[in-house]
Amino acid sequence: MSKRLLGALIAALALTFAIAACGSSSSTSSSSSSSSGGSTSPLVGAGSTLVAPLMSKWQSDFSSKAEITVTYGAIGSGGGIEQITSRTVDFGASDAPLTEEQFEEADAQGDVEQIPWALSGTVPAYNVKGAPSNLKLSGEVLADIYLGKVTQWNDPAIAKLNPGASLPSTKITPVYRSDGSGDTYAFTNYLSTIDPEFESTVGTSTQVKFPTGVGAEKNDGVAAAIGQTDGSIGYVGLAYAISSELSMPLVENSAGEFPEPGVKSVEAAAAAVSKIGPNNEISLADLPASAKGAYPISTYTYVIVPLETEKATEMKKFIEYATGEGQSYGPDLDFAPLPKQVIAAGKKAIAKIGG
Amino acid sequence: MEAGTLSNPVLRARRNLTDRIGDPLLRGLSGLAAALAVAVIAGIAYEVIHLAWPAISKFGIGFVTTNDWNPNPLVQRFGAAPFLYGTFVTSFIAILFAAPLSIAISIYLTELAPRRIRRPVATLVDMLAAIPTVILGLWGILVLGPFMHDTIEPALQSVLGFLPIFSGDPSAFGYLTAAVILTIMATPIITSVTREVFETVPGDLKEASYALGATRWEMVRQVVLPYSRPGIVGATILGLGRAIGEAIAVAQVIGGAGLINGSLFHTGGTLAAQIASQFQGTTSELQKASLAYLGLILLVFAVIVNVIARVIVQRGKIKDVVTETEAAAL
Repeated sequence: MSKRLLGALIAALALTFAIAACGSSSSTSSSSSSSSGGSTSPLVGAGSTLVAPLMSKWQSDFSSKAEITVTYGAIGSGGGIEQITSRTVDFGASDAPLTEEQFEEADAQGDVEQIPWALSGTVPAYNVKGAPSNLKLSGEVLADIYLGKVTQWNDPAIAKLNPGASLPSTKITPVYRSDGSGDTYAFTNYLSTIDPEFESTVGTSTQVKFPTGVGAEKNDGVAAAIGQTDGSIGYVGLAYAISSELSMPLVENSAGEFPEPGVKSVEAAAAAVSKIGPNNEISLADLPASAKGAYPISTYTYVIVPLETEKATEMKKFIEYATGEGQSYGPDLDFAPLPKQVIAAGKKAIAKIGG
Repeated sequence: MEAGTLSNPVLRARRNLTDRIGDPLLRGLSGLAAALAVAVIAGIAYEVIHLAWPAISKFGIGFVTTNDWNPNPLVQRFGAAPFLYGTFVTSFIAILFAAPLSIAISIYLTELAPRRIRRPVATLVDMLAAIPTVILGLWGILVLGPFMHDTIEPALQSVLGFLPIFSGDPSAFGYLTAAVILTIMATPIITSVTREVFETVPGDLKEASYALGATRWEMVRQVVLPYSRPGIVGATILGLGRAIGEAIAVAQVIGGAGLINGSLFHTGGTLAAQIASQFQGTTSELQKASLAYLGLILLVFAVIVNVIARVIVQRGKIKDVVTETEAAAL
C-alpha cells in the first residue's frame, strides 16, 4: 500500500519535472505574463544575455502600456541567432552582427532584418594581489596578454603605462569565455582592430581559440574564475562588471586617454561613429583619434526579425518602443542611449517589417 | 476455489474473454514498449549521424586524430583528439581513485562498521550522488580549484615534478581538478553497487574462513573480494560511464581549451563538456556538425563501455551459478 503510494508520488514528481523541463527548454517566460486577450498576440524572443536586464524592464513596461506580452529567453547570442534562423521564436537578439553565412541561413525562410537596439560595452577585469586598482592598460598590451606574449604583471609594457605603480611578478592568467558570447565578439573585434597579429591568429568571433589562458562558462563563471585566481584577467559585460566588485583596468582609447568604463564613455564612443553598414551593423572597435572620452570596447546589441511575420504589427510596435521610449531605462542598467542616426536607421528597417 | 470459479458459467465466460484478449494485449503492449525503446535508440543514432554528416564528410576519420578546435569563422578547423584525450585522462584518473575508495567504503560498511552507523553512513554516501552536478561544479570553481592550485598541485610538483604530467604552473582549472570532481561523482555509484555485492557474500563462507583462523583482513581478501570480483568490475564500469558522460561540472572546471597538453595541471576539454559548452552558440553549421561528431564518438564510447560491463557481469553470473551448483554437489 505505502509502496504503491510512493510509486505514484515518484511518477507524479517525474511528470512535474518533465513538464517543467519542456517549458524551460523552449523559452524562459517572464513571470508576470498574463494573456492580454483581444487581437494582440504575445511575442517570443531569445538570445543575448547582455541585453537581458534591459529586456526585463522593457517586458514589464511594454506589456502594461501596449498590452502585448513579450517573453524572452536569455540563452546567449548564438542561441538567439539559431532560434530565429529556425523561426522557433518571433525575434532573436545578438551582440554580434550576423555573419554573411548566418544571414544566408536566416534568409532561407524569407529575409530577416537586423536592427541595433541597445548599446553597451565589454569590460576587462582583473585580480592581482599587490597591484593597484584601476591599472592602466592599452589595447596592444591586452592583445599581447591574450596572445601569451606578456606573461607577468611586472612586464615592462605594463610598467610603462603605470609609472610609479608597484607591480608584482605574478604570472598572468588570461580568462576567456568557453561558450559562445557577444562579449567575446566585442573583445576580439577590438583586439583584432588594434593588433594585426591578434587578427591573424585569433580573429573576431563569438567563439575563438585563444592560444593561452583559462576558459570559463558565462559571465558568472568568468567572474568566479577571476575572483579565485591571483594574477588573472578576464572580460565581462559592462553591467555585470559594475555590479560585481571586480577591479577594472582603464583601457587606453585612440585619443590616448584612459576613460572609466560606463554609460558616459560608451555613449561618447557611439557618438564618434557615423558609419552604418548595409545590414545596420556598426563597429565601435576602430574609433577615430578625435573621439574624446570614448570607451574603446563598446558594442551594439541587435534584434533580428523576419520581414514576413504574422505578428508584424506587434513586432513593429515593440521594436519602435525598444529603440525609442525604452532607451530611457538604459542608463540605470548601464546601457547607453542609442545615437539619433542609429535610431533613424532603425526606423527605416522597422518600416520594412510586414512588407 | 479454482473449481468453484469455473463451475460458474458467467465467471468462466468472463475469464475466457480476459484470457483471450489479455494475452495478446499484454504481448502487443509489451512488444510495443520494447520496440519503442529500440526505435528511440535508433532514432537518436540516426539524428546524431545526420547532424554530424557535414563534419563527417569534410573531416572523415581524420577528425579523431586532429589536435585542434578553432571555431573562428575564418579558420573552422575541428578535431576530436583534444577531447578524446581529456575524456580518457580525466575518467581514468577518476576511476583510479574512486574504485579503491569505494571498495574501502563498502568493506567498512558491510564488515567493519558498528551496525547502527552503517545505514546513516551508507545514506550519506548515496546522497553524494544526489548533489546536482552544477552545484558540484560551482564548488569546484570556488573551493576545490583554489585548493588544487595552492596546495595539492605544488605538493605534487615538489615530489613528482620530474614527471612531465606534473610539469608547468599549477592551475585552478584543468584536467586534474576535473578528475577530482569526477572522482567525487563516481564514488557513490561504485560504492552503492559494491556494497550490495558484498552483502550477498554467503555468511557460511565468511564463517568458514574465520573458523580456519583467518583474520578479518584475510577473510576480506580471501573470501569477500574474490567472491565479488565481477560485481566490483561491473560497478567500476558503471562509475566509468558516469565519468565519461559528465558534462556540466567538467565544463565548469576544466578550462575549455581545445588542445592536448601533457601536463595534468593544464586546461583542456572533454567530449561531453565541449558539447555542453559550445552547442548553444555555434558560429557555423560546420561547428555544429563537428560537435555532433563529438557526440557520435561519445555515443560509441558509451556503447562500448556498456557492452564490456554487460559481458563482465554476464560472465560473473555464469560463474556464480557454477559455484552454486558445485557447492550443492558437495
